Amino acid sequence: MDRRKFLTLTGTLTGGSLLLPDFLYSFGSQNNLIIGEQCVVFVQLNGGNDGLNTFIPFEDALYYNLRPTISLSKSEVLSASKGMAFHPSLTGFASMQQSGDLSVIQNVGYPEPVRSHFRSQEIWQTAPTNQEYLSNGWLGRYLDLQCKEHQPTAGINIDNIDNLSLKGEVPNSITVKDPNRFITKNKSENTVQLSDNPQLDFVRRVASSVIEGSDDIQKALAKSTASDVVYPNTGLAKNLEWISKLIKGNLNSKVYYTSLSGFDTHDNQLAIHKNKLTELNDAVYSFYEDLKKSQQLQNVTIVVFSEFGRRAKDNGKGTDHGTAAPMFIIGGNNHGKIIGNNPNLADLDKGDLKYEIDFRSVYASILKNKLNFDGSKIGIRNKALEGLF
Amino acid sequence: MDKHTLWSLRLGFSTKEAKAVKKLGMNEFLNRSFDSKFDTKVPDLLASSPKSFAELKETRKTLQASNPDAKKELLKKEQQTSAEMKAWWIEKMTETEFPLREKMTCFWHNHYVSTYQKVKVNYWIYQHNQILRENAFGNFKILTKKIIQSNAMVRYLDNVDNKKGKLNENLSRELLELFTLGIGNYSEEDIKNGAKGLAGLGIGEDKATYRRIFEDNESFNYLGKNGVLKVDEMVDTIFEQTNIPYLLTRKILKWFIYDTPKEKLVRYYGDYFKKMNFEIKPLLTKIFTEEFPKNNAGSKIKSPLEYILQLKEELNIENTNGIAIANFIKQQGMDLFNQPNVKGWEGGNYWLTSQLYLQRNNIADSLCNGRNFNGKKNTEVNDERMNKKNNQSLNIKLNWNNEGNNKDIITELSNRSLYGVDTNNQKDFEQLLKYDFDPKTAGSEFAVMRLFNFIVKTPEYQLI
Repeated sequence: MDRRKFLTLTGTLTGGSLLLPDFLYSFGSQNNLIIGEQCVVFVQLNGGNDGLNTFIPFEDALYYNLRPTISLSKSEVLSASKGMAFHPSLTGFASMQQSGDLSVIQNVGYPEPVRSHFRSQEIWQTAPTNQEYLSNGWLGRYLDLQCKEHQPTAGINIDNIDNLSLKGEVPNSITVKDPNRFITKNKSENTVQLSDNPQLDFVRRVASSVIEGSDDIQKALAKSTASDVVYPNTGLAKNLEWISKLIKGNLNSKVYYTSLSGFDTHDNQLAIHKNKLTELNDAVYSFYEDLKKSQQLQNVTIVVFSEFGRRAKDNGKGTDHGTAAPMFIIGGNNHGKIIGNNPNLADLDKGDLKYEIDFRSVYASILKNKLNFDGSKIGIRNKALEGLF
Repeated sequence: MDKHTLWSLRLGFSTKEAKAVKKLGMNEFLNRSFDSKFDTKVPDLLASSPKSFAELKETRKTLQASNPDAKKELLKKEQQTSAEMKAWWIEKMTETEFPLREKMTCFWHNHYVSTYQKVKVNYWIYQHNQILRENAFGNFKILTKKIIQSNAMVRYLDNVDNKKGKLNENLSRELLELFTLGIGNYSEEDIKNGAKGLAGLGIGEDKATYRRIFEDNESFNYLGKNGVLKVDEMVDTIFEQTNIPYLLTRKILKWFIYDTPKEKLVRYYGDYFKKMNFEIKPLLTKIFTEEFPKNNAGSKIKSPLEYILQLKEELNIENTNGIAIANFIKQQGMDLFNQPNVKGWEGGNYWLTSQLYLQRNNIADSLCNGRNFNGKKNTEVNDERMNKKNNQSLNIKLNWNNEGNNKDIITELSNRSLYGVDTNNQKDFEQLLKYDFDPKTAGSEFAVMRLFNFIVKTPEYQLI
C-alpha cells in the first residue's frame, strides 16, 4: 500500500514515516532526481542586509559621499577586484572567492520593490510573478511536484517558526527548533524549559519529541562521520554544523533552510553589522571547510541572501530600508565569478539601487542546474541566470 | 485568554459561548444550561434498527437463517448506524446553544461505560445515551439506579449471565469499584453478595428487568446491611456509605478543570454534594462559581473533542462531516460509544503522546490550509460507508480585526486560542507577523492564517 492510499484509508495524516522507515532512501533513486545527492542550503539574512557595506564599491567616490560616517575605507576592505571588495569581517568569503568556490551576484532584486520586511520576505519566499499573494512557498511548490509521496524530510528548516518558502500543499518539510535534542534524544526530557505549570511542562516534553521524520534524522545522524572542523559557538554555526551532519549521514533532503537575524541596522550600523557579518562569515566558512574536507562541496550549494538591501545614503549612523543587494552562492561547482555590474550609485531610484538581476532568475538557475527542475512548472517564468554554474 | 473564553471552552467545546458567559454571568449561564431543552425524538438513523425485544428476536432469527453474505450485510448495516450515531451526537454538541448538557452527557458516558462493540444493539446504546442526557443535571443516586437497569448496561457488564447458582460478578464489581465508591471502600464479600442481589436482572422490553427463575432470594450481607436486597435497595445502601461522594467529585473536577485535582478540593466539593443529596445542579453551580475567579487556567489537557471542535469553530467550518470528526477523535483515542474498557478514557496526560500530538498538528495544518480531514482539497471522495459521493470542499474563514497592527492581531488570536502567552511565544508570533505587517493589503489574510496555524500547534493550545 502506498502512503497516499494509506492516508485516504485512515482518513487523516499520521506519522507515516514510522510505518515506512525506508522510503526516504529510495528518494534519490527516482528518475526525475537523476542528480541524486545534490542539495541546496539557504541562509536567509533577516532584517535587510546592507549590500553596499558587505560587497563594497570601494573605488567609487560616490560611495564615500553618500556614506560619510559609515563607509569602510580602502585600507580595510578585503580581496579587491574590479572595484569591489569584501567587508573586513568576511575573511572566509574572500578566501572562498579566491578559491573559485564563491560567486557574487550583484544588484539582485525585483521590480517595484517593497520596503516592508514582512512583505518583501513573502515575495522572496513565494516568488510570485506580479507580486500576487501566494499561500505556498516556491520551495514548497517545488517539493510538491518533486515528491511522489508525502516526504516529511525533503526540506528541513532550522528555525523557531515555520518557513513560508517551504510551505506546500503537503508538508514535505519539517521545522526543527533545536537540532541538539536529536543528538541527545534520551535526555530531551531534561532540556525542556520548565514553567510553573506541570501540565504545560508535560505537553512541552511531548512537543519536543514530535517531529515527523525524526527517526530518519536520527538514522542520518548515527551514520554521519564526525567533523574535524571546529565550528564557532554561535546559533548559525550550530545549525550549519547540524546540516552538515545530516548531509554526511546521507539524509538526502533536497533543501535546507536556516536564517540569521539582526541585519536591520537603522542605527549603530558599523558595530552591529560587523558582529553580524563576523557570525555569518565564521559559520559559513566552517561549514564550507567541513564540506570540502568531507568531499561534499560539489554536491552542496549554499545560497546567502536577504529580503532587501539598504538605502545608498546613510541616515547618520545607520541606513534605512533599501532595495537591490548582492547574493552569494557557495559550492555546488559554481563558476566562482562576480556576476553583474558594480552598483551604480550615480543612477538611483529614490535613493535606492536599481535592481539588475531578478532573484527569480537566480532561483530558476538553481532549480535548473542543481535540482534538474524547470522553474516554470512552479510559476517562475524568469530565464535562468547564465554564468552561475 | 480572558475568563469567559476559558470557561466557554471548559463548559462546552469551543469559545462560542464566551459572550454568553460574560453577558449572563456564571450563575445565570448555568441556570440557562440546566434549563436547556434537548431532543427526545428517536433519530431517523435508527428507523430500521430493531428496538423492541420482539423485533430484536426477529432480527436474530433472520440473521441465523441468512447465508453468510446476507449476514455480513446486516452486521455491516448496524456498524454504519453506529458510525452515524457518533456523527449525530457530535452535531448535538456543536449545534446546541448551551453545550453544557452534552458535555455532561459525555462525562456520564465515560463514567457509566457501555460500548456498542460489546452491546451490539444500537437502540440500546441510544437509550443508554438518552438516559444520561435526561439526567445530566439530575441526581447521582437516581441516575445510578436507572443506568444499572438499562439493557445496554446489563449486557455490557455480563449481568445477562448472572444467575442464581451461576453468579457473574462483573456488574456487581463495577457498580462499587468504578461507578460509585471506588476501590478500598468495600470488600470482596460485598461484591460476591452484590452479585446475588443482581442475579436475574437481564434484558427487558424497555429496560432491564428481573427474571424470577434466575433471581437469588437468599438473604445476604451488603456493606453492613442484611437482607434480600435488589438493585434499588443496593444502590440506596451504597449511597449511605461515608465515602460515596468523592470518586464522582474527583472525576468532575478532572473532566472540567484539573488533570490532577487537589484532594482537599475533592473532599470539599464532595461533602457539599452529599449535603445536597447528590443533586448535580447545586454541585456544578458551586464548583463552577467558586473555581471561576481562581487562577487555574492551563490545568487540563484538551480532550480530542475539545481540541477539534474549537479548531472547527475558530475556522468557521460549516457543515462539517460529523463522521470525519468522529474518526479523528477515534484516532486520538476518544472513540464515542466505544471506550477501550469499562474504566473509560483515562484523560489527562493520556490524551497526548508524540504520535497523537503529531496527528493534532497534521490535522491543524490540513484544516488551516483549506484541506479536509483526509488531507485533500476539494476532491470528490467516494464514501463507501455512506454509499454516496461526498463533495468534501472545505471553506475556512478566520475572524480577525484588520484595524489593528501586528500586535493587536496577535493579541486577538492568542486571546481566543491560548490560555497564556509567554515571552518566547510572543517573540515567535512577532516573527510571523512583523511590525511592518499591513493588515489592509490584499493577501494579508494568508499571513494571519499562518500565524493562527502556528498558534494552534503550540503546547499552550493543548491546554485549558
